Amino acid sequence: MSESARGRVLDVNLHLLDRQIVDRDGEFVAKVDDLEFERGADGTLYIAKIMVGSRALGPRLRGRLGVWMRSIGERLSTDAIPTIDFALVTDIGSEVKVSATRDDLDAAPLEGWVRDHVISRIPGSRHAGE
Amino acid sequence: MKIFQVALGILTAIGGFVDIGDLVTNGLVGARYGLSLAWATVLGTVGICLYAEMSGRVAAVTGRGTFDLVRERLGPRAGLANLIASFLVTGLTLAAEIGGVALALELATSVNYLLWVPLVAFFLWLLIWRVKFSYLENGAGLLGLALLAFGFALWKLHPDYGSLVHQVVAPHKPGTERLNSYFYYAIALFGAAMTPYEVFFFSSGGVEEKWTRKDLMVERANVLIGFPLGAMLSLSIAACATLVLKPRGIEVSTLGQIGLPVAFAAGKVAIAFLILGFVAATFGAALETGLSCGYSIAQYFGWQWGKFVKPREASRFHLVVLLSLIGAAGLVLTTIDPVKITEYSVVFSAVALPLTYFPILVISNDPDYMGDKKNGRVMNFGATVFLVIIVVASVAAIPLMIWTRAGQ
Repeated sequence: MSESARGRVLDVNLHLLDRQIVDRDGEFVAKVDDLEFERGADGTLYIAKIMVGSRALGPRLRGRLGVWMRSIGERLSTDAIPTIDFALVTDIGSEVKVSATRDDLDAAPLEGWVRDHVISRIPGSRHAGE
Repeated sequence: MKIFQVALGILTAIGGFVDIGDLVTNGLVGARYGLSLAWATVLGTVGICLYAEMSGRVAAVTGRGTFDLVRERLGPRAGLANLIASFLVTGLTLAAEIGGVALALELATSVNYLLWVPLVAFFLWLLIWRVKFSYLENGAGLLGLALLAFGFALWKLHPDYGSLVHQVVAPHKPGTERLNSYFYYAIALFGAAMTPYEVFFFSSGGVEEKWTRKDLMVERANVLIGFPLGAMLSLSIAACATLVLKPRGIEVSTLGQIGLPVAFAAGKVAIAFLILGFVAATFGAALETGLSCGYSIAQYFGWQWGKFVKPREASRFHLVVLLSLIGAAGLVLTTIDPVKITEYSVVFSAVALPLTYFPILVISNDPDYMGDKKNGRVMNFGATVFLVIIVVASVAAIPLMIWTRAGQ
């Protein structure tokens, strides 16, 4: 973990959950949908990973909406829930900055699928607006 | 350069202010109630100025769009319910705008509007896919200024301005009309002026154009000068209908009837401008609502969004925009009257208003995000008063809709 993120007192609910994750190049990666904690040698809890995607978000939504969100996620993918190592976090402000690029993180498989199977097949998808 | 930027911003804000909701509601209400409901448009305009300023300031200071922050502040569950409601209302508005463009093209060509719908939807998608954000916004806004034909027509009608102003400042419900319908249309005008997508779009547009604190001056000029002047344009539509349609007992049920006073008072060239203005205003608003469908979903889920990256870099965002356009065009193709879709869309907008406006008020007061740019006391007082009005309008809208059978 980098200096800036270490040792700050954070209210996880208020300052971390549901914030936008932004990669090294300023591109949007995902939201902090849920967190995975681990217990250190001295027994204190620390944040190990950021969990992203509808399967991470679903269980946080109570009621039917949550069940739907989770089941849609489960039907779209059988791989493990995508996570981002918390050690990559470099800053927590109005956005959560990470030191990797979006492609390296591979936290949004659906984005890649839509890109490869739908959007890239439409002419002009590689050009920014003119 | 700064002056040019400010002037351009104001002009596009005027031309972009009016959309199909404002056109239809102002024309319809003007023909039926005269200017006795103009207070609702004025009220809605003050409200949209306050809240658009806040959302633009939040975007400039934090670089975050409205829905991004809605989820952060309301939590994921309330945020999702909010997203679903806002998306449906914005999608309905998109359908109304697409129908509006098609109806305007029918006026110009006499080709049935249904044939225009697929073409309009395709062209909308193509522009969103290929054209730079600033060109989209400025182009539609500047062409929308052709609606000044309503102002010209009003001047040509040589009205007794004293009596028009009197109707505005001393509202008096026409004797034959029922009070519940009167307030139903007040809510419709309020919803038309304050449509939620305007705030999503304004804030996301600020992020698209990479606003920073330095741009706050331009942002404020857009809102505080451009929007009120745009509202004057809305009022001139109602005034034209008051002077020409109301005395003749014409009830507005088509887009053509709304333009009738211009044809009556100002002649052929003005009609050409008017139709150009109809097309530009509704097309511009369709671009804004189409993008807003994508913005709201992408911002909730944290996907890459925006036209500042290549489409393949924001693939899910572009897929949502594409599907929204197809869905909205499909709704119009069911042959439901676009004017009716519009009437419902403005009332449902009024219902959904608190969902968008409450979180904006909370965030723009948060020193964590806003630092020294958080709301001042005067702003908070005004915004809180408006929040109360918005909640009342929102709660009353559906019961009034049922009670009056949608204003009959």
